[in-house]
Amino acid sequence: MVAAAAAAAAMRKSRRSSKNSDRLEQEIAENPAANEDVEEASGGGEESQPSDAASLSEDEGSQGSPVDSEEENGEVSDDEDHRSGEESDSSEEEVPSRNTIGDVPLEWYKDEEHIGYDVAGKKIKKQARKDRIESFLAGVDDAKNWRKIYDEYNDEEVELTKEEVKIIGRMLKGKTPHAGVDPYAPYVDWFVWDDKGHPLSNAPEPKRRFVPSKWEQKKVVQYVRAIRKGLIKFDKPKEEPRVYLLWGDDSSAAENKRHGLSYIPAPKPKLAGHEESYNPSVEYIPTQEEINSYQLMYEEDRPKFIPRRFESLRSVPAYEKALKENFDRCLDLYLCPRTRKKRINIDPESLKPKLPSRKDLRPYPRTCYLEYRGHTGPVKTISIDVSGQWMASGSSDGTVRVWEIETSRCLRVWNVGEAIKHISWNPLPELPVLAISAGHDVLILDTGLGNAEEQARIKELLHVEESKPEEDGSTPVVSWVQDDKYDCIRLKHLKAVTTVEWHRKGDYFTTVVPTILIHQLSKKHTQNPFKKLHGLPVSAVFHPTRSIFFISTKKNIRVYDLLKQKLVKKLETGVREISSIAIHPGGDNVIVGSKDGKMCWFDMDLSSKSYKTLKTHPKDITNVAFHRSYPLFASCSDDCTAYVFHGMVYSDLNQNPLIVPLEILRGHTSSDGRGVLDCKFHPRQPWLFTAGADSIIKLYCH
Amino acid sequence: MWAGNGPNIMRQDAGRGKKKEGNAAKYITRTKAVHYLQVSLSTFRKLCILKGIFPREPKKKVEGNHKTYYHMKDILFLAHEPLLEKFRDIRAHKKKVKKALARKNRDLADRLLNREPTYKLDRLILERYPTFVDALRDLDDCLTMVHLFAALPAVEGERIQVERIHNCRRLSHEWQAYISRTHSLRKTFISVKGIYYQAEVEGQKITWLTPHALQQVLTDDVDFNVMLTFSEFYVALLGFVNFKLYHSINVKYPPILDPRLEALAAECRNLFRNFKIFLSREVPRESLLFVIPAFGGVVSWEGDGSPFKESDEDITHQIVDRPTQGHVFLSREYVQPQWVVPPPHLSPFVDNEAEGYIPEYAETIKRLQSAAKKQVLPMPGVESQGLDDPQTLLVEGIIDRTEANEAAEKKRKLTMLEKQYHDELNMELQGITYSTSLSNKNLQSSVENVKEDTMTTLEESEDLSKVSMSRKKRKLYEAMKIGQERKKDKIKLLKERKKNAEASKTG
Repeated sequence: MVAAAAAAAAMRKSRRSSKNSDRLEQEIAENPAANEDVEEASGGGEESQPSDAASLSEDEGSQGSPVDSEEENGEVSDDEDHRSGEESDSSEEEVPSRNTIGDVPLEWYKDEEHIGYDVAGKKIKKQARKDRIESFLAGVDDAKNWRKIYDEYNDEEVELTKEEVKIIGRMLKGKTPHAGVDPYAPYVDWFVWDDKGHPLSNAPEPKRRFVPSKWEQKKVVQYVRAIRKGLIKFDKPKEEPRVYLLWGDDSSAAENKRHGLSYIPAPKPKLAGHEESYNPSVEYIPTQEEINSYQLMYEEDRPKFIPRRFESLRSVPAYEKALKENFDRCLDLYLCPRTRKKRINIDPESLKPKLPSRKDLRPYPRTCYLEYRGHTGPVKTISIDVSGQWMASGSSDGTVRVWEIETSRCLRVWNVGEAIKHISWNPLPELPVLAISAGHDVLILDTGLGNAEEQARIKELLHVEESKPEEDGSTPVVSWVQDDKYDCIRLKHLKAVTTVEWHRKGDYFTTVVPTILIHQLSKKHTQNPFKKLHGLPVSAVFHPTRSIFFISTKKNIRVYDLLKQKLVKKLETGVREISSIAIHPGGDNVIVGSKDGKMCWFDMDLSSKSYKTLKTHPKDITNVAFHRSYPLFASCSDDCTAYVFHGMVYSDLNQNPLIVPLEILRGHTSSDGRGVLDCKFHPRQPWLFTAGADSIIKLYCH
Repeated sequence: MWAGNGPNIMRQDAGRGKKKEGNAAKYITRTKAVHYLQVSLSTFRKLCILKGIFPREPKKKVEGNHKTYYHMKDILFLAHEPLLEKFRDIRAHKKKVKKALARKNRDLADRLLNREPTYKLDRLILERYPTFVDALRDLDDCLTMVHLFAALPAVEGERIQVERIHNCRRLSHEWQAYISRTHSLRKTFISVKGIYYQAEVEGQKITWLTPHALQQVLTDDVDFNVMLTFSEFYVALLGFVNFKLYHSINVKYPPILDPRLEALAAECRNLFRNFKIFLSREVPRESLLFVIPAFGGVVSWEGDGSPFKESDEDITHQIVDRPTQGHVFLSREYVQPQWVVPPPHLSPFVDNEAEGYIPEYAETIKRLQSAAKKQVLPMPGVESQGLDDPQTLLVEGIIDRTEANEAAEKKRKLTMLEKQYHDELNMELQGITYSTSLSNKNLQSSVENVKEDTMTTLEESEDLSKVSMSRKKRKLYEAMKIGQERKKDKIKLLKERKKNAEASKTG
């Protein structure tokens, strides 16, 4: 509406020149009087002719308003049309408006009583303002009120005629203001061309107008060639059937055969289980706590699908992860490496080796039969007399005890004063002598268990003359000294002695003082044959039948021939640190215990690698032992257990040794992180002695 | 052959004259493969998907552990693929069109667009699946994908073309029509994820999943390029498979699929023989329209084009899924949709025995089924002579093995008690005094002690035999044990939940 009013105002300005509008304005300007006139006119004679009105208005422009009159609009507009038609062309002169203040801001007159000045210079008084109710009522009464607009400049109300409204409408639509104007009228060439003499240009027609274009021809040739070559085709390519019988007969399958590598079909996706039903049984639905606990899980472990329950099929919603799951499957199909893997669908029990029943392998030590109590410190080492009657034990409390095995009676006690490291009976039955290593010394001690004749021989054997100092002045590695306290020989070493082992004939024995020394008891002589050793020696033992010597370093076992004085074999254990070694009475098999709880069985005829590695103990193995006659061997460890194995060695070289775990012997208690410190078999019975860190020695019998 | 012309690129880092051997020559990482083929990664992906080439796992990963390795032969296989050249052509063609458009050469652009290079996948399909059975074997994923796409909304932004979706719809309908007509549907399972179907075609079990007939949600964690490449291949494959299948039953391939005709032509021979079934408005029509004719029933539904109206007097069953029923016809039975599917709410794909747990519902259904077969079965708890031998029950296939074991255990205990009773009677008859019997008992108890002892030693022997296993076997054994333990835990959890649910119900 505002736009329309603006347009109207604009139009009014444009038409200000026309007489018609001026007349209108003038009429409106003298409104009060005119109104009366009109009322009179309307009241006076309705029969007053429109022609009358027209003539009247023509004659006296300021009188007789057609605007406010009650006459039919049509007639008025007709009348006006007619008039405007008459005058539009002719009237060009400026007709001033009622107000003459010019183009100045109207607010200058805001507070004045006049709005400006007329042509004569008289003030034009402001009209009295209609109050709202009045104007509203006037609007309600007057059907044409919507056409009235207020002209602020002249301070008057103007009513647009119907024609003017039409013009505004057309302008708003972007058409020409007058309906009669045709903007696209055919052009009429008013200029007369005939017989006018010269053409506009006198240039002759160029040659190119008559010669076919070379470039056009080239292009044509190009196209022709392209068409001939088939580069440009005009007919659409024939639609081939999209599907046809691809696998006509499978006889041609061989030639279709997939080239390249063998095809590994993708594993099929897992099919739905009961829990994926829309209404699964109660037991498949997790409780709220369980669902909450899923949040604490790792993302990989979290269940992908949480079963839910819906009352009816109607209420099942679309599965929101459908697309994602399908996409994941796609990724699996083209991104996951595929390999063929044999799936083993067997009972895990069948993986266990078929071992002979333990019942058939009896006798073997099973239960604790006797305890030997008396030591006050951890029993470090035990040794059994070859007759099987006596047992000697050495403890950290510095005592060596000899026990009668069958009665568990402590026969004798020697207090050496230093913690005993290792103890060993002489293997000769007629020579009941103990080799004891304690601190830097090795004692060769007479136990006094033999008869008088033997005793006398021992006494003679254990007598040592004061050694003269060496000629060359160098200190000997070992000095043989007579110990008066226990009437024994004391071998003083330069460093702490770890182990003492006798040769089978009872004359030689070896001590490990990081270096390896071999002593001869009869001659009181010591020699150091292994000048150069690879690795730190842990223990050394003699072969039970031949003149072969085993030295175990931390990693390997080195086997020397004592006669030829050279290295025979090197056994690679592969364990972290060897703790103990035992030789099978046959002499061809060796077991090695390690500090990482592994026990290795070596068949020396077979290989220099272990035949079998048994991971038995969780803690260090402290000692391993073979039985002299029964096919038994044992290991003991700091985890307070001892394992007993059946270890059968066959004389047939083609048959591998049979190793069967038999029993776990428990009973010792841990003390200061140590468990069982030593284990030895009885020489004749299938009995096992274990020495514990809890200062108890136990005998396990069958 | 490939050792000669293949590893040109390898020579760069190996140095001239030094030929790679073993895993280093056999396998190539993905980046190197892409460089070798001189294609973009996306094209490489597309090629791999279409050709069905997947990474391999070399024994020794020469280039590093976290890389994807392809076999060199596979890559050479791709290098000789005509499709590779075709993809290059298409790329070049797209450039031409773009250039023409940029130069406002509309003519050329139009002409070029008319002659867009296209490719077909028939040769590839034949190469990947030399026999029809091969194709059927690999059809599971194909069908699932096509059915999913058939339910997707066409989104231009995601480049899912309407045509593709219509194609998928058509193909899935054709497939279902074939399955339904040949009555080869075997198993159905309504799950939350959708409806699983299993059909047997030419001896191959094909399982697929159709989403519920609802608007699917498009998520943004999905790469549609990959999905579209897969669907492109699958659409082509299913087209050829359908053609072959229709050919085998002597039907012209693009078949006229009108459910009304189907209903009329339905051969009656199977489960729903002589059944005339009417589907109410609220039940999922599409899936039931597939299932019921597949089992030989005649179906109609409420809506346009239905073969017969609800008021038809011959209707034997009406499938409803609403709480209240307006007009109830007495001549027909009203059934919920899940009862159309073999065991409702239970997956037919689960081997209960292998799982080791049988839901109670399965047993109820079994009992109902056998009741329907007019076999009188004992209710649980009621023992009748002759039937309590678990072996016979097992033979009859009524109870499962686990149950049989339990029953056998129970029976053994009973017989033991019985024996004890008899022994006591005998003793009384023989006049043995109580004290002697006591001593006897002591003997027995000692024997029992020995037995217990053997039990403990048995446990120990388990430990011991583990000692003598090789490390490889021991680890395998332990892994298997863990698996078994997990399974047991799962069953335990189910049983516990069940117990809790029952307790809360009663208490």
